[in-house]
Amino acid sequence: MSRGPGGESILKQPFDRVREYVSGKSEGEASFGDVVALAEITADSMQTFFAAIDRTIYRELREIAEYITNLRSEIAHLRAGELQNDRLPKAGEHLGAIVAATEEATNAIMEAAEAMLAASGEDEAAFKKIVNDKVMTIFEACSFQDLTGQRIARVVETLEQIEKRIGRFAAAVKTTAPGAPAAEDPRERRARELLLNGPQDRGVAIEQSDVDALFSEKPARP
Amino acid sequence: MALDHSMPVLIVDDYSTMLRIIRNLLKQIGFEDVDEASDGTQALSKMRDKRYGLVISDWNMEPMTGIELLREVRADDKLNRTPFIMVTAEAKTENVILAKKAGVNNYIVKPFNADTLKSKIQAVFGE
Repeated sequence: MSRGPGGESILKQPFDRVREYVSGKSEGEASFGDVVALAEITADSMQTFFAAIDRTIYRELREIAEYITNLRSEIAHLRAGELQNDRLPKAGEHLGAIVAATEEATNAIMEAAEAMLAASGEDEAAFKKIVNDKVMTIFEACSFQDLTGQRIARVVETLEQIEKRIGRFAAAVKTTAPGAPAAEDPRERRARELLLNGPQDRGVAIEQSDVDALFSEKPARP
Repeated sequence: MALDHSMPVLIVDDYSTMLRIIRNLLKQIGFEDVDEASDGTQALSKMRDKRYGLVISDWNMEPMTGIELLREVRADDKLNRTPFIMVTAEAKTENVILAKKAGVNNYIVKPFNADTLKSKIQAVFGE
């Protein structure tokens, strides 16, 4: 029930006034003037009642408007367009370039190693030249680490930006963690069921010696 | 079954670099007849066409993973005695136990070297 500024029921005041009016009259003395007076009291009271409701609705609408304004401001701070059109595509390009660079370097190193393994040692001078050339090729190929390191730093920066912006947005809209986890898509379910988690971090991954212990050094014989 | 370095070996990995590394390591150990497959489906197809003395497979591949390949091999009457070594970065106790239950003969954690590969192959063949 709506309440007045002092906390009292808005409807209580007109009823009290009506009760006071009626109790001041003797039984069977209702006149046309009484009816008009009661109607005036009722109309007056209803105006107060509706005015109070108007103020409450106005206050709540103002709060909703402020929330929407704040939300719009926070959405603007997310700069979703920049993430979608610039940062995320660039991060994807960086990761693609990292894969390509590491693959190229690995192939160059392996080609050099294979050439050295295949080289004949009969002609010592020729063998030394091959080894020197291929070792230089390996050194050159190892320069990929510098470039991939810089690219990885850019990707990490993008991830940090996303984390920061989403954190700010979540705080602004006062979200709470959902009770139920997000629905699992078929790809995620397959990965979980087949334990496809990729390389584990140190501390999580077990060593070869731990694996050997699980096999009790007695692997199944074919 | 005795270890015979002339036996055909099938290596299965979706990374061509890893296939190349394992091929070179096997060559160093003395295996010359080495075939490659890029996932479980291709490996299974090759195994049905050619009798391999040893399969060395990665775990994390699509569309057929190493553990799925292992289960298919163990369920196949003609292939179920083929020695199978899992070589993977999926280094968690539960993975090793799962692979062991599925019938893997040995399990190598990446990264590894030629000595580890050699010792595990020898262990599978009881040497």
